[in-house]
Formats: sequence, structure tokens, C-alpha cells
Amino acid sequence: MLKYIARRLIIMIPELIIISFIVFIIMEAAPGDFLDMYRLDPSVSQQFLEKMEKELGLDKPWIVQYGIWLKNVLKGDFGYSFYYRRPVSTLIWERVFATVILSVSSLAFEWLLGIIVGVFSALKKYSIWDKILTVVAFSGIALPGFFLAILLLYMAAKTGWFPIAGMISVNHNQMTTWEKFKDIASHLVLPTIALGFGGFASLMRYMRGSLLDVLNEDYVEFARAKGMPERVVIYKHALRNAINPMITFLGFSISNVLGGAVIIENIFAWPGMGRLIYQALLQQDIYIVMASAVISAIMLVIGNLVADVLLAAVDPRVRFE
Amino acid sequence: MAEEKTMIENGEIEFKERVLSRRELVWRAFKRNKLGMFGLYVLIVLYLMALFADFLSPHHPYEQSLKHSFAPPTKIHREYKGERVGAYVLPTISYVDKATFERKFYEMLFPKRLVLDVFGTQVEYEIGKDGVTGFSFMLDEEYYIVPKDGTMKYAGSTTKVVDYLLFGYDEKVLTKGEADIETSSEAAKDTYFGKYGFRLGLNSPDEIEKVVIKEKLNMILVKKGEDIEMITGKVIDYDYKTYPVKWFVKSWGGDAKNRIGYLFWIFPFHYHLFGVDNYDNNEYVRLYIMGADQYGRDVWSRIVFASRISLSIGFIGMFITFALSLVFGGISGYYGGIVDEFMMRFSEIIMSLPGFYLLILLRSLLPLDIPSTQVYVLLVFILSFIGWAGRARVIRGMVLSIKQREFVEAARALGFPDTRILFRHVLPNTASYLIVAATLAIPGYILGEASLSFLGLGIREPSASWGLMLAQAQNVTYMTKYPWLLIPGIFIFITVLSFNFVGDALRDALDPRSLG
Repeated sequence: MLKYIARRLIIMIPELIIISFIVFIIMEAAPGDFLDMYRLDPSVSQQFLEKMEKELGLDKPWIVQYGIWLKNVLKGDFGYSFYYRRPVSTLIWERVFATVILSVSSLAFEWLLGIIVGVFSALKKYSIWDKILTVVAFSGIALPGFFLAILLLYMAAKTGWFPIAGMISVNHNQMTTWEKFKDIASHLVLPTIALGFGGFASLMRYMRGSLLDVLNEDYVEFARAKGMPERVVIYKHALRNAINPMITFLGFSISNVLGGAVIIENIFAWPGMGRLIYQALLQQDIYIVMASAVISAIMLVIGNLVADVLLAAVDPRVRFE
Repeated sequence: MAEEKTMIENGEIEFKERVLSRRELVWRAFKRNKLGMFGLYVLIVLYLMALFADFLSPHHPYEQSLKHSFAPPTKIHREYKGERVGAYVLPTISYVDKATFERKFYEMLFPKRLVLDVFGTQVEYEIGKDGVTGFSFMLDEEYYIVPKDGTMKYAGSTTKVVDYLLFGYDEKVLTKGEADIETSSEAAKDTYFGKYGFRLGLNSPDEIEKVVIKEKLNMILVKKGEDIEMITGKVIDYDYKTYPVKWFVKSWGGDAKNRIGYLFWIFPFHYHLFGVDNYDNNEYVRLYIMGADQYGRDVWSRIVFASRISLSIGFIGMFITFALSLVFGGISGYYGGIVDEFMMRFSEIIMSLPGFYLLILLRSLLPLDIPSTQVYVLLVFILSFIGWAGRARVIRGMVLSIKQREFVEAARALGFPDTRILFRHVLPNTASYLIVAATLAIPGYILGEASLSFLGLGIREPSASWGLMLAQAQNVTYMTKYPWLLIPGIFIFITVLSFNFVGDALRDALDPRSLG
């Protein structure tokens, strides 16, 4: 197992380099650069522009720029943000933290609720609850995340139950640790729902289908026939086997959550990486874009790895060579 | 084709066996699925809507009307002075009140006929008779401030000349000769305190209980061409202009620049399914069945035109994706080797960036301010580019397994060339997967376009797309005050839901077990 993990992590390195290279090419191919907004400003002198170009390294050919960037990254230096005038690494860590909180809470929301409700729906097959949940699932799958986010904002604005923007309140710094935690949690509720609802809906359907399939298997019938209590049959025998195939969806749902976060973070003004990369793209702040893309790829690859390892852990049939 | 033949004749009962082709079997299985059929009907309606967008929209989708900014859905009246008449609308206006800084919305009273009592004699004026072309009112406006003690303090006055009165605001001027407008909003108190507070000896806006504006009818101006007759008198009776709502109204059309207002993009077309008969080109007359946006554009017309972009992008993107993935997936599965290796690595790399990151990265390849038509092409390209790698992997897997089957071996034994085996024998066997996957993939394109346009990276103003229209609703104050801005989202929802229903029904119908 450890060998497998190590191999996966090693494969990751060339993959990340290629990704960063592709992103760099895209950024270079995009017309204009960061200094365009200064070039349009008549009060900025030509000397200043040239000085800036030299300072930011924009005067060198792009392949050299990429080489310098790669060399610095290997030393742990992600470059310098043109816009914020701060090193990218300090800028991005707080963002990564926010995105990780949001992603993890969304994933937890999706999976915990998806599995519980899916099981409930399967056990109450064709009842009125099952029908209602089916409608909810279909709506959840069809509802675009950003539209749900707007609807939640609408609800929050009308009722005032939840804060509508940002991650922390204005007076966050004066709070005790417990209050800080509660503060972030209350800000987290709406983005989590908006980000996770679609995933929750589809997971619930998969769980329902998967459990119903397993309940039709012979070994479940056998367990019942030998007089095992229904509770044990379902939760010990059927459920475990029903969850295994679900874990293959974990990688997919991580990718969805990370991607969906871009738009949700923008709507809820959540100070995460998605918002950062969106703004950096508009400002052509190239090193922020590079760092965000690479970090999001790392998160995705690690997420996939965790999913695979989990699958092996719960399913004895899966073995790594 | 269905062949009918009598199989057995058993007494009086005649058994008939119908031999159905596969297509008929699938269709029969599909028809059994109610949700699937429902989705199919909804989609047909939506696509017809997109096709006949010019016919269905009562207003030009780009036409701004700043006098109707955020106008709510227009009220359609059926009664005029207590009598039941044909459906009509009144001219409307939306403006920000100078005193309260709130957006106000009123129906307008444009007089058509006035019966006046001028010093005891009754005079009647009607537009179109005796050369009368229009009316104006000269109104005296007096401002009063009512402090907490209840006295009414005179603050100032002006005189204004208006062509119209507002229902629910000052239309009482006609019947009573004067109208009182009261407000106790904080903004109004502040404004009036700032203007008159010092003179009236007030110390803070909090001392003001309310602000009263009295409007009095000073004079009526009757326009007769160039001449204006000024009349002082009491109004005994009046009629106001109404604008009938009609089917098949002739109005805007044939906008060559945007290629809007044409039948099938070719024939200029000026008729619309419904609309308001604006007989005197009154700029205040609009028919908004779903309200207006910030620039006073008709939300319904924009939704209808936006459906063209949102609905077509799904299909075109899906076709490109599936063509690419069929070719690459087929070749790499069938031949293996370097193409296979390259494709697998490529799709791995594409899949190791979260989809939306890649989407906005690729969007930055072209500047943000390119015209909507170019954005559209770019979006199709980006969305298909992102989708094809994953699909190609699935098809590759299927080709790998189909390749082992006997019929492929037979085809090979017959000496068919590889390309023929691949395209005529192997790939057609992926058809049922492709049909289902394609139907379920279309919503992804629609959502991708909507999300990008929502973020301002996709379709640009003045063109309309459902995502772009929702971007206006992103503002919390707008969305709570003008909830009709959220309607485009409902259209996205319905479209995606219908595609999902149809896809699910197709999957069930194409499942060999269900054909029966």
C-alpha cells in the first residue's frame, strides 16, 4: 500500500509540471499582460513602464520566464503577485485554507447526508417519503449551483437567518475561540449548501440504487433466511457492500466541489482560491493564476489518491499491485 | 417496419403478432415513461420557443427604456370605470423619488377627454375633436413639514407643468382639485430637514413626524396644434388613454444589425404573438409580462432570445465533443500504441485540473470584450474541449471490449479494412451508450455557458443568455426588491430537468431488458 501511495505521489510531479507548463502557455497566449492597465494611463511614464517590465520579468522570452518560475517554485517561492505586491505564497495560503474549509464541509455535507438519506429512501422504497426525496434529488441535480446560491442569498436577505457574504464578521478579532468557530460556521452554512446540494442529490440517488441492488443479492436473502435480525442484515451486510461502489465517485465529487467553488466563492464573497484565481485572471496576474492552478491540481490529485486508498481500505477485493 | 400477420385462429379470438423493429420497440418503451415524455414535450416547446423567438417577444430584446428600469410585470386591466372592457394596459413609469430615494413605480393617467366647469358653463374637450391634440396640467406643489407636535408648517412651493398624472399618487387632483402625498421615510425627513429645517427652527430630522406634499390644480392647458389654451376650471368628468393588449400585433422587427426580428433569420417580420397596440407611440407604454431589468428591457423577450444561445450551445458542443471522442476513443481503443498513450496521458492531465478552473483559464485566451458571436464560438470550443477527453476514455474502454467479440473477428476474417471495421462495426455498437450519455451531457454545456456568462466571462451585453441575465440578480437589493430577475434561473432549471428526464427514460428504453 505504502509503495502504491509513493508511486502515485511520484507520478504526480511530472504531471504537475506539465499542468503548470500548459497553464503558462495559456496565460502567455492570452492577449495583453498585467501592465496593460498602466499603459492605457497617460500619466504613467515610459521609463516607469520599462522599469516595471524589467522588475516583473515581463521583458524576457516566455520560456525563460517559465524556467525562472519553475526554478523558484522548486525552492518554495511561488513568485510575486503583480497586483497585490506581495509574495504569492503568503497570499495564497490563507486562500487555500478558506477553500479547504469550504470544500471539506461541502464534501461532508454531500456524503453524510447523501448516504443517510439514500439509505432511508431505499429502505422506504415507493413510500411517499421516497417519492418526495426522488423529486428533491431530481431538482437538486437540475438546479445550477449558482442559481441555488442566489436563491439562498434571497432567503437569507429576506429572513436574516444567516450572514450573506464573507467568511468572518467585522468583529471577528475580538471574539473568543469558540465564538470565532461559531462565526465561521454560520458564514459557512449557505456556501456549503449551495456547493454541495447537487452532489448530495446525485449521491443520494446512487446510494439508493446501490443499496436496492445489494438487497436483492442472494447473501442478503440467506442472512434473512437464517433468522438474522433485519437491522443487522441491513447495516452490517448490505450497507457495507452498497457503500463500496460509491467511493469511486469520491474523486469525481472532489473535482466538482473544487470547480464549483470558483463560482460559489464569487457569489458569497468567500475569500477562497476560486475567487482569487478569477480575479487574478481578469488582472492577468500570472503567478497567482499559476500557483492557484497548481495547488488546485495538487488538491485534486491528493483527493483522488485518498479516494483510492479508502476504496482499498473498505473493500478487501481491491488490491494494488 | 411493423408487419402484421395472423398467427393462430383460436375460436373467435384472433391473435395477432406484431413484429416491431428495434426502433419501434425503443419508442414503445420510451413512451411508457411518463416523466420522459413530459421532458420531451417541454423540450419541444422550449426549442420551438427559441426558433420563433422574434415572433414571441413583444419587445426588442435590446431596446432600453430607462423610464421603466426594474418595472414589475405590467398589470393587465379588464375594467374601465367599473365596466368590463377588453384587456388593456396603462402607461407606466419607474423613477427614483427625489425625497425618499426609493424607486417608485406608478401607472400613468394621460387624459383623453375632459369635461370642465368654467365659471358655470360646461365645456368638453376631447383629443381629436375641435383640433385638440393634447392636455397638460399646471400644478401648484406645496411642501409642508409636520413636526412631532402635529402642527403643519409650510416649507415652500413650486409650480410644475405635467402631461400626465400618476394613479395612486396625485390623480385625485382631477376629482378633488388637490391631492395630499404624505411620507414619513427617513430619507425624506433628512432631505426636507436639510432644505427647510433651519428656516423652520428644527434642530434634527428626528423632530419631523412626516412630510406632506400638496398638489393643487392651477390651470389646464389644452393644446391645439401650436396653440395652447389656458383654462381655469373644475373638472367634472374625464377619460384617460388606455392601450389595448392584442394578439398578433405589428410592432418592431427587421433589425439587420443584430439579425433580430426575422422569421427564420431571413424574412423581416414585424408581427408578434401578443403585444400592446401603442397607437400614439407613447414611450411610457410597455407590456412586460415578466417585468423589466435594470435598463428597462423586457425580461420575457430577453429570456426568449437567450434560449437560442443556451439551448443551441448544448447541442453544438455535444456534437463536437462526441465526434472528437468517437474518433480519438475509437482509434486509441482499436489501434492502441502511441495514439492511445498520448490520449490517455492527455486526458489524465485535463482531468487533474478542476473543470471550472480549466474553463476560465481557457476563456482568458481571448480578450473579455470581444463580440458575443465570437464569445459564442469560443465557448462552444472550450466546453467541447474540456468534455472530450473523459468521454474518449469511456469509448476507448468500450472499443477495447467490443474488439474481442466474434463479429469483429468475423469482419476481420472477411478481409474488411480496419477503418471499415472500426466505423461500421465497432463504433455503432457504442450507439446506445452514446445516445444516453449525449442527452445527459447537454445540461453540462448549458450550465457551463450559464456559469461563465454569470461570472461575466461569457456572452456579453446587450446579447442575452440565461446566465448573464441572472448576473443582474446577484445584487442582494435587486433580487429582493425585483424578484422577477430570477426567472431566467427557472428556465435553466426546467431545461436541465427535462434533459435529465429524457436521458433517464432513454437509458431505460435502450436497456435490452426493457424492450420486452
